Amino acid sequence: MASVSEMYDVGWEEMRDKLRKWREDNFRNSEQIVDVGEELISEHGSKLGDDIWIIYEQVMIAALDCSRDDLALTCLQELRKQFPDSHRVKRLSGMRLEALERYDEANKHYDAILQEDPTNTAARKRKISILKAQGKSTEAIRELNEYLEQFVGDQEAWHELSELYINEHDYGKAAFCLEELMMTNPHNHLYCEQYAEVKYTQGGLENLELSRKYFAQALRLNNRNMRALFGLYMSASHIAASPKVSAKVKKDNMKYASWAASQINRAYKSLKRFVKHLCVTNAINYIHFSNRI
Amino acid sequence: MGEVELSCRAYVKMYLHACLFPRCSINGLLLSSSSAGGAVCVTDCVPLLHSHLPLAPITQLALTQVDVWCSQTQQRIVGYYQANACVSDSSPTPCALKIADKIAEQFDSAVLLMLDGSKMSPDYRVPPIVMYERKDSRWTLKDKHMIMLRQWEETRAIAGQMMESGDHMQLVDFDTHLDDITKDWTNQKLNTKIAELASPANGNI
Repeated sequence: MASVSEMYDVGWEEMRDKLRKWREDNFRNSEQIVDVGEELISEHGSKLGDDIWIIYEQVMIAALDCSRDDLALTCLQELRKQFPDSHRVKRLSGMRLEALERYDEANKHYDAILQEDPTNTAARKRKISILKAQGKSTEAIRELNEYLEQFVGDQEAWHELSELYINEHDYGKAAFCLEELMMTNPHNHLYCEQYAEVKYTQGGLENLELSRKYFAQALRLNNRNMRALFGLYMSASHIAASPKVSAKVKKDNMKYASWAASQINRAYKSLKRFVKHLCVTNAINYIHFSNRI
Repeated sequence: MGEVELSCRAYVKMYLHACLFPRCSINGLLLSSSSAGGAVCVTDCVPLLHSHLPLAPITQLALTQVDVWCSQTQQRIVGYYQANACVSDSSPTPCALKIADKIAEQFDSAVLLMLDGSKMSPDYRVPPIVMYERKDSRWTLKDKHMIMLRQWEETRAIAGQMMESGDHMQLVDFDTHLDDITKDWTNQKLNTKIAELASPANGNI
């Protein structure tokens, strides 16, 4: 089988840089990381200097994600040798146990870390992940809420909590989490758009108007966000169709909806292969499924 | 309730959808190009989401778009499938039931199909699916003997082969389409490949 460097005609430095980029952007492209990382370590390990340790960690986690326990163990053993008392490495041992579904042992590892260092956020988050993996959503939510009381700035945790709430259909609380995220990340169009989706799902005129506003905001931040564009169209159409709104509100929302529809149609028409079914023609198509799902 | 037949194309695309997003819950719609009455033949599927399944806007949008496409291509929506992120739990979630209810409003014999992640490994010889049908306003387990997968061994082989060769990376679901509208959620390319791999003797896949 051809090596990564052969297939993509890259040198070891590029492979190392790619791994760094994926690390920094927190990508979960585990299969790729395993392919590139495994080759980098085995063929060019000596050239990596101190970088090799963080690469071992990255590859180990990716290996767990791909059920490559052999590779994960190799990386872990190297890290254990180099950093025998490290909590960071102990956490990796715990993660390996999680991957093997040995949750009780994994929890013991994390409890041991927390015993020595109660502020170790990584261990706490792993314990919450175990609850999630075991399907114990209520406990996971409770623990995550407690965690956030202490570590209120942890974006990743707020986002995780919003996802957990969405899965439990607790849209009000999910919205609250997204509000926290929007406050600290005002330029992030994805948070705006997710917030708008949650509001839309909650339903009711007030929530629909909020959802329309936030879809519009997401578009302002990124005018290529198709979800926001469709969301704007749908929320505005719904509001315009509501018997409870004034004539002015109806007219305004029909304008917004029709603007959004024209933008959508333009985007699809510009595709080389113009496919009829992808066009948003009029509100009638859509009212077919207008009852809130 | 009557028999349900699941075609190779529908099964393989569902399977590839689940393989493409192993860490997420995924869902999609089951379609039929056969006329109503008698057995329900699921001839195709449209993969929908791999994130935020319970949220309404994109689901509504997708249902509308697929519905329009179906009316243009003589197909109808006859069911819904879902695979949960948590492999140990393959029971239908509230959102699965809601969407399936919606579909059942338009089609009496609608089916709700859950993919059982724990049975998707290569050594499992049985289809990793659990099907539900609507009886007395509730979704109940369908009798396994009423579920047919013609040429199961071949279907299974095709699914496995396509996954091995990385074809699942080509699968486009509605979520992916919204990230890049040049991608085709009807997955014509994959349909062609599946047809090519299916044995020439079996014309009806």
